[in-house]
Amino acid sequence: MDALLTKTKTAVSPEVQDQPKKKISGSEVLLNSLVAEGVDIIFGYPGGAIMPVYDALYGYADRLNHILVRHEQGAIHAAQGFARVSGRTGVVFATSGPGATNLVTGLADALIDSTPLVCITGQVFAHLLGTDAFQETDVVNTTIPVTKWNVQVAEAKDIAGAVAKAFYIARTGRQGPVLIDITKNAQNEMIEEQEYVKCSEIRTYKPKPVLQSTQVEKAAELINSAKRPYILAGQGVLLSGASKELIAFSEKTGIPVASTLLGLGAFPADHPNYVGFLGMHGNYGPNINTNECDVLIAIGMRFDDRVTGNVSKYARQAKIVHLDIDKAEINKIIKTDANIHADAKEGLQALIQKCNAGNHAAWIETFTKLNQVEFDKVIHKEFNPSDKLTMGEVINHLSNLTNGEAVVVTDVGQHQMVTSRYYKYKNPRTNVTSGGAGTMGFALPAAMGAKMALPQQQVVAVIGDGGYQMTVQELGTIMQYNIGVKIIVLNNNFLGMVRQWQQLFHGKRYSFTEMTNPNFVKLAEAYDIPAKKVEKREELQTALKEMLDAKGSYFLEVVVGKEDNVFPMVPAGAGVADVLLEPPTEKK
Amino acid sequence: MEIHSDNNFSVINRIVNILNRRRVRIKKLVAHEQEDDFKRGVAVLLLFTTEDMMEKVKHQLEKLIEVEQALYYEGSGLYCELSAKHTEQIV
Repeated sequence: MDALLTKTKTAVSPEVQDQPKKKISGSEVLLNSLVAEGVDIIFGYPGGAIMPVYDALYGYADRLNHILVRHEQGAIHAAQGFARVSGRTGVVFATSGPGATNLVTGLADALIDSTPLVCITGQVFAHLLGTDAFQETDVVNTTIPVTKWNVQVAEAKDIAGAVAKAFYIARTGRQGPVLIDITKNAQNEMIEEQEYVKCSEIRTYKPKPVLQSTQVEKAAELINSAKRPYILAGQGVLLSGASKELIAFSEKTGIPVASTLLGLGAFPADHPNYVGFLGMHGNYGPNINTNECDVLIAIGMRFDDRVTGNVSKYARQAKIVHLDIDKAEINKIIKTDANIHADAKEGLQALIQKCNAGNHAAWIETFTKLNQVEFDKVIHKEFNPSDKLTMGEVINHLSNLTNGEAVVVTDVGQHQMVTSRYYKYKNPRTNVTSGGAGTMGFALPAAMGAKMALPQQQVVAVIGDGGYQMTVQELGTIMQYNIGVKIIVLNNNFLGMVRQWQQLFHGKRYSFTEMTNPNFVKLAEAYDIPAKKVEKREELQTALKEMLDAKGSYFLEVVVGKEDNVFPMVPAGAGVADVLLEPPTEKK
Repeated sequence: MEIHSDNNFSVINRIVNILNRRRVRIKKLVAHEQEDDFKRGVAVLLLFTTEDMMEKVKHQLEKLIEVEQALYYEGSGLYCELSAKHTEQIV
C-alpha cells in the first residue's frame, strides 16, 4: 500500500515546510482534505467504525454540509445524482461491515455509468483486521470488481495522500467510483498537520490519451466520403463537456445525430439534425437506419447490448468510426474501421478541422419518414388514448410544461423508457438515470442529490411503483432537509417491464409481477410532503402544474394502464432492424 | 502474459478478477516483487485463450490503476523463459 501512496507526483510549497505544525487527528486530516478538494456536501450514515470522523465533522458545519440519509444505498445514489448534474465528484460516508456493503450496488452502478464518486468507509481497528471482529468486512476485496480504485488506510499519515489520489482517479480519464477504507485507529491517531497537496500524476495511470493525428485523418477520410453518415452520441459527450463541439460538428458536416440512453441531452432534441433516441425501446428511424448508413460515427458510447441488439446483425454494411476515451471499449464489441482514442471534446475539435462541410438533407429526410410511421402507429395512440391514462401522455405533458428544461431523474422500467422517448431534453446533464446496471430504487435518492447540486433548478423524479418502494425511506431525508424534489409515481400495480416480457415471450404467465401497493398519498403525507393522486385525464394537467408550481417537495401519483406496453421494441436476440412497432401476432 | 505493476496489497486479486470475469483459464502463474525495487512487481501468467480475447483482456488489465503494462506473447514455451528470467533476478 505504501508503494501506491508515496509514488504520486504532487506540488509542495517550500515555505510551508518550516512552520511549526499543530497536531490534528486523522479524521480532521480527512475532513481538511475533502474541503481542499472543493467538497461541500457529503451524503452519509454514521456508525461505530466511522464515529471519530463524525465527531470531527461536528466542528465542520460551516464548511461541510452532511446529509443524513435513511440507508447507505440512498447515500450513494444521492451522490450519483449530485455528480451527474453538476460534473463534480460525489462524496459518501458509511460505516464498516453492512454500512460498506450497502454501497456495493451503487458502486457497481457508478462504475458502469462512469460517475465520479469518492466513498469513505470506516473500518475496525487495524489490530482487529482479519479476526472477524464486530462489523468487520473485507471491504477492499469485496469492492475491487465494482470500483475504479480502492485502498485501505491503516495509518493517519496516509489519509491525505489517499484522498488526493482518490479524487484524481475518480474525476480523470473514464470517470468512476473510488473507495477509501479507513481503520478506526487511523481516524483517531494524532499527527502533525500538513499542507494538503493535490494529486496531479500517478506513475502507472495515464488518463489523458494523446490525440493521434493519423487516427483523426483516417476517420475524417471515411466521414468525408460518406453518403449516409450517422452519429451515435453517448454519455462520453456529456462527461467531456463536448455538447457544443458535437453541435458544431453535426452542423458543419450535416450529419444526423441519435442519442443513447445516457447521451440524452448531449444534443438538443429540438435541433433539426436530431433524429431520436436509439436502442431497445428507441425511436423507429434511428434503429432502422443503423442498418442503412454507410459510415457510423460512435462518440462517447460503448455499443451496449441494449443499443446493438444482436451484434451479428448490427450495421454490417457500414464502416465504423469510434471515438472514445477508454481504449478497452474500442473494438470490444464492434470492430472499427477507424478509431480515435481521445477525450470526446478534443477528438471532435480535431474532426471539425479535418471534415468537410456537407449536406445530407435527403438522408435526414429518411429518418423523418420512418419516425412519422412510428408516430402514426405508436405515438399518436400513446398521446391520445381512449381509455386509461398512459405513461406517454403524462411525460408528454411534463415535457411541454417544463419546456424540456427540467432535470428529470428516472428509475428503471417501462416509465424509464417512456420518459427517454417522450421527454424532449434540450440541455446537457438534465437526464439522470441508471443505464448500465438498471438499478431499481435509483431515482428517488438520485433526485435528492441532483436537487442538492442545483437548488434553483426544477428537478422531477419519474418512478414506477416497484422502484419507488425500493428506496422510499429517503422520503425521510427529503422531509428533514426540505429538499424540493417533485416526485411522480406512474402506478400500474405491476413490475411493468418484466410483465411486458412475460406477456410477449412467456405466454402471459405473470409470475410474481403483480403488486399490491399501499396508499402512496398517505405515505407521502406522513412525511409532510403534499401529495395528490390522479386517475382521470381531465385532472392530469392541472395536477402537474400544481406539482411544478409547489414551493417545496411534492408527490403526485398517476394511475396508468395496467397492461400497457412500451413500443417500439427490439426483442432480445433480434437485430435493430427487426424493431417491432406493435406486439407480434400470436401464432395459432 | 507479462504484467508489470506496482506492488500493492490486492494487486494479484485485481489482475485475477479481470481474467476470471472473462473466464480465461490460468494454467500457471508466478508473481514476485522486483529485486531492485520492492515497490514494483511482475507477474507472468500462462493463459489458455484466443488472441482476440488476449487483446481485450490486455486493455482491461492496463485500466487497473496499479498496472503499468500488460504484454502478451503466443506460445507456452515463452512462459518458462519469462518466469525463469524473472526468478533468476530474485535468486
